Amino acid sequence: MNRIELTRNPLIKGALKNRYPQLALFVAMLVGYLFAILAGLISTPVGNQNFSIVFVWIAWWAILILVAVPFFGRGWCAVCPIPLPGEWLQRGATLDPPHRKPGWANLRWPKFLRNIWLQNISFLLLALFSTLVLTSPKLTSVILAAMLFVALGLSMLFERRSFCRYLCPVGGFVGIYSQTAPIELRVKDKRVCATCEGKPCYNGSASGYGCPWDVFPPGLSKNTECGLCLECLRTCPHDNIAVNLRPFSADLARPSARLDEAFKAFIMLGSAMIYAGILLGPWGAVKDAAYHVGTGTWYLYAGAFLAVIFVILPVPFAFCAFGSGNRHPFKKRFSTLSTALIPLGLSFWAAFSLSFVLSNGAYVLASVSDPLGLGWNVFGTANIAWFPVLTSLLAPAQTLALVGGLVWSAHTARNAAGEVHVSPIPAILYCLAATLVMLWLLL
Amino acid sequence: MKIRRIGLLLLAASGLAVVFTPLPAASPAPQARTFRIDAGQFAYSPSTIDVNPGDRVTIQLVSTDVVHGLYVDGYGASVEADPGQTATLTFVADKAGSFRFRCNVSCGAMHPFMIGKLNVGTNNRLLRSMGLAGLAVAGIFLLPSFLPQGKSNQERFGA
Amino acid sequence: MKRRELVTRVLIAVAVVFAVGTPLYFWLRTPLIHAKIAENGGWSPDVLLARPGEPLHLRLTSDDVVHSFAVGKTDMQSVDVLPGKVTDVTLTFDKPGTYTFYCTRWCGLNHWRMRGTIQVGDPASTVAAGAAPTAGKVDVPLYVTLGLDIDSPHDSPLVPGVRPSAADGEELAADSSVSKFIDPDFYRTHSPYQAWRELRNTSSYSGLSDQQIWNLVAFIWRSNTTAEELASGRKRFAQNCAACHGENGAGHGVFADQLTAAGQASMKTMAGAKDMRRQTPANFADAKRMLGASPALLQGKILRGGMGTGMPSWGPIFTQDQSWDLVAFLYSFPFLYQE
Repeated sequence: MNRIELTRNPLIKGALKNRYPQLALFVAMLVGYLFAILAGLISTPVGNQNFSIVFVWIAWWAILILVAVPFFGRGWCAVCPIPLPGEWLQRGATLDPPHRKPGWANLRWPKFLRNIWLQNISFLLLALFSTLVLTSPKLTSVILAAMLFVALGLSMLFERRSFCRYLCPVGGFVGIYSQTAPIELRVKDKRVCATCEGKPCYNGSASGYGCPWDVFPPGLSKNTECGLCLECLRTCPHDNIAVNLRPFSADLARPSARLDEAFKAFIMLGSAMIYAGILLGPWGAVKDAAYHVGTGTWYLYAGAFLAVIFVILPVPFAFCAFGSGNRHPFKKRFSTLSTALIPLGLSFWAAFSLSFVLSNGAYVLASVSDPLGLGWNVFGTANIAWFPVLTSLLAPAQTLALVGGLVWSAHTARNAAGEVHVSPIPAILYCLAATLVMLWLLL
Repeated sequence: MKIRRIGLLLLAASGLAVVFTPLPAASPAPQARTFRIDAGQFAYSPSTIDVNPGDRVTIQLVSTDVVHGLYVDGYGASVEADPGQTATLTFVADKAGSFRFRCNVSCGAMHPFMIGKLNVGTNNRLLRSMGLAGLAVAGIFLLPSFLPQGKSNQERFGA
Repeated sequence: MKRRELVTRVLIAVAVVFAVGTPLYFWLRTPLIHAKIAENGGWSPDVLLARPGEPLHLRLTSDDVVHSFAVGKTDMQSVDVLPGKVTDVTLTFDKPGTYTFYCTRWCGLNHWRMRGTIQVGDPASTVAAGAAPTAGKVDVPLYVTLGLDIDSPHDSPLVPGVRPSAADGEELAADSSVSKFIDPDFYRTHSPYQAWRELRNTSSYSGLSDQQIWNLVAFIWRSNTTAEELASGRKRFAQNCAACHGENGAGHGVFADQLTAAGQASMKTMAGAKDMRRQTPANFADAKRMLGASPALLQGKILRGGMGTGMPSWGPIFTQDQSWDLVAFLYSFPFLYQE
């Protein structure tokens, strides 16, 4: 048996269907989020001592990329506070649907933007300014606040969670990487859906709201777009929705042929390698160029960054998709094959983040005792001097992650290549080459 | 089936060999080396130093703008210097490999990324990891039945 | 609306107000003194008020790099002010007046400009409160009393061929005719060259070579100070002077190039300003320059600074003793005090 239905257990099902546990988590996250915004604005401007930087770019990032995404897919989206104020306003309620729905515009998201290109762009923008963002508490706060306000504004204009689905820079990569996770939400039996009247999973009912992610649950075959908000679990009158435990990367067995997702894979792969070089390498001139936004050297750096992502990485990969007499269009071959880069990208980010987090994790201790930089010492750890955490384990862990990701990618490549009738060998060699470069950058 | 099992065993054995076989160490006689490293926001100059295993390494840290530190990963040795007061750190490079050294005194925005590299002998860890990666790919090519192929995935994993 | 919904909304509102209000509340109620590098504003606030005899509790934090806090013209041990961390200092001033506080760990080219004042006195009578400034009593530096010109060059007309050795001088100092030179009143008001000239004109030393007389001068200079004073001067030099003047006093400290550039850059439009040799920090091993300067002259340069260069004024910072110790140490560059 390769899928275990978790919602068969009445305790689990009850906890997931009940709005209170979810709301409690939501409010806790929102409080933390708002506190982080405040701390970034009024606490110390020293990045590594500021609660906002430490808890967003070190603690939250570590949990996201090392735990939430690989093991829970879009699990972070399930508890993320960003859409909440807008959504409560949009819905006119914080719990069950109200009798009278508020009359917001609820426009349909424009068709030509129904893809992840906007998310690719928003992530790239963040990535280009990342050295500045990662070290500047005020800028971090501004970005956090901006996301909150944009999500709110979009909820007033458009239906459902348009920010989350089409704009959020985090959602872009969490979505495609969630295909690797061992958790999924799916309908149990599509035949039941065929005879269902009203389709409340998509349109809402008195027990819950229609899918905020604009997903039609019977059509849900991959984790990419499902944000695990569990509304469909509440609205389905036929108890036909299940949350399952399943083998890792089951979704990659049916590779996607979308170009926007293909480029997202390159964006993530490229940025992991670039960050490993800039942030963890000994090349001061590049760090300077990346940090001093607006200077001539920064434009050079930005150009190089974009060149890696849009030229240096995809062009050799395009050669992997060659095949004479192949009946599949080139675009389909390229995009399908690029699915192999998803496990690779995830392992690259995990390996990079391990180094980043273990070297800087000690700051969490100091920050938790004095979150506002006012001289508090709540847990007695405020004046702890920096120390590296578990760095002796770092190299083996990174090797494991990278080699494991390589094997996983090779496996995915074989599968994807089979779908479009090309040889997987060039793609596997490409993954090997990328892995060797990443090993050299990190170890 | 049997061939597959033998293949897997061979693969595992080669993997262990790659990870654990002692590499022939080209051991030149250890000597005392001194390096002057200038530290300025946010880089070291020189940012990479090479020594042989067993060398007695002395680093003279010269801060050129604000107070900087130098902490060597893996050795745990560190020193701090004010501008105008060169600080000296001495240790024996008994562990071979490639180690980052970083600033351990908050020195401004990019402080967490102020990093240099100390190479003690050859970076065996990197070589072994690269070997493992190559071996993994070789394994995938040579043992096609090691991992199930495309179509059968869809059968196994269902709708 | 259902009661559950109302209760939930209230709870959410309370949580949000708590999340936003708590940090704001504590932030507004915790006055901190922020230290930033001088280029970004230095100490803020930089004027503090205190009452005589009442403890002044200060909470300091750095907004960028490592700084340190001390009050000038005292023997106070400086207290580190670290980025993102808060340091508590309590000061008590017995006498009213204006005190200078300053940063004691180099934090950039303009580190020495990081200063502020503490006004101790009856609040109504401080300048900050609008009272007319009253001239406090200042120790008049010796160079002022002597009417020395500390801005003009003071090259020694004669220099030794080899670095004069105090130990060799000690061997030569047989009779009491040197003891009159081992006296603060003589030492502070005469340059080594002037001492050399007097010794040269003394009949009992007519048999000695010029170099030997210089060795005697070196011995005399060393005898006018003690090992403790030299150690104190050495420490003061390392902490305050070496960053510009170099750890070996030769003038090429880590900030020397920036100082030269700063001096030249500001003069770019002046004709004939290309030859701004004096913009580089002084080389204390330069015998011509040092042996023509009396301790009073050197002390004056240290206390007043300027001279058309980037030399800071240390008057509000060093006590008299501290400045004399430093001056004594400076002579250990042209003279050889230890074998």
